[in-house]
Amino acid sequence: MRNPILSAALLMLACLVLPADGAQAGDAQAGKIKAYTCTGCHGIPGYNNVYPTYKVPKIGGQNYEYLAAALRAYRDGERHHSTMQLQASSLSDTDIEDIAAYFASLGNGS
Amino acid sequence: MKRWNSMNRLLFSALLLAVLPTTLLAKGDPEAGQSKSQVCQACHGLDGKSIAPIYPNLAGQHEDYLVKALADYRAGRRTNAIMAPMAANLSDQDIEDLAAWYASQDGLKDLSIQ
Repeated sequence: MRNPILSAALLMLACLVLPADGAQAGDAQAGKIKAYTCTGCHGIPGYNNVYPTYKVPKIGGQNYEYLAAALRAYRDGERHHSTMQLQASSLSDTDIEDIAAYFASLGNGS
Repeated sequence: MKRWNSMNRLLFSALLLAVLPTTLLAKGDPEAGQSKSQVCQACHGLDGKSIAPIYPNLAGQHEDYLVKALADYRAGRRTNAIMAPMAANLSDQDIEDLAAWYASQDGLKDLSIQ
């Protein structure tokens, strides 16, 4: 961040290069069933995480690729949150794609 | 009477503790956040609806979750090659303002139990 122009240029480049494989593979209908457990926290509006306290993030209408990447990162121990790591630990790649597809599908008019 | 007073004091302290975190979290200024969000826009879009599906939508996300996410990136508790340098130079106020801005936009939905 010492050179803001360079940083901005790199960022723009990253934005152009990274989303190259944007194909959505998951099955939203299958995901709806697999996502039942998720609603125990993400399905209660305003529900709080505790220690530290902050609201459980909204994921209705979140982007498919991001959701899948987040679940993989929890499963693979790259992103840390005890409940999410536990939940993700048993998910297959297909489960992750299906769940991500379901939540991503809730964006319009829900 | 003395016992009643200490009881009241205890209740008052408990009440204060319950209320305090919400007041601490409510200090972000969405307008200041919008003007600070220019560099974020390259990936997260003009109003927090991202330009590509690998980047999360931020519009409508809970303010306190956004504060936590940015603070985690800044502290290195959450790692991401793009977000780490973005968050590194943010002040607490910057984080509060950016979170207030994105939380004020229309976008992400709460799930309802079906």
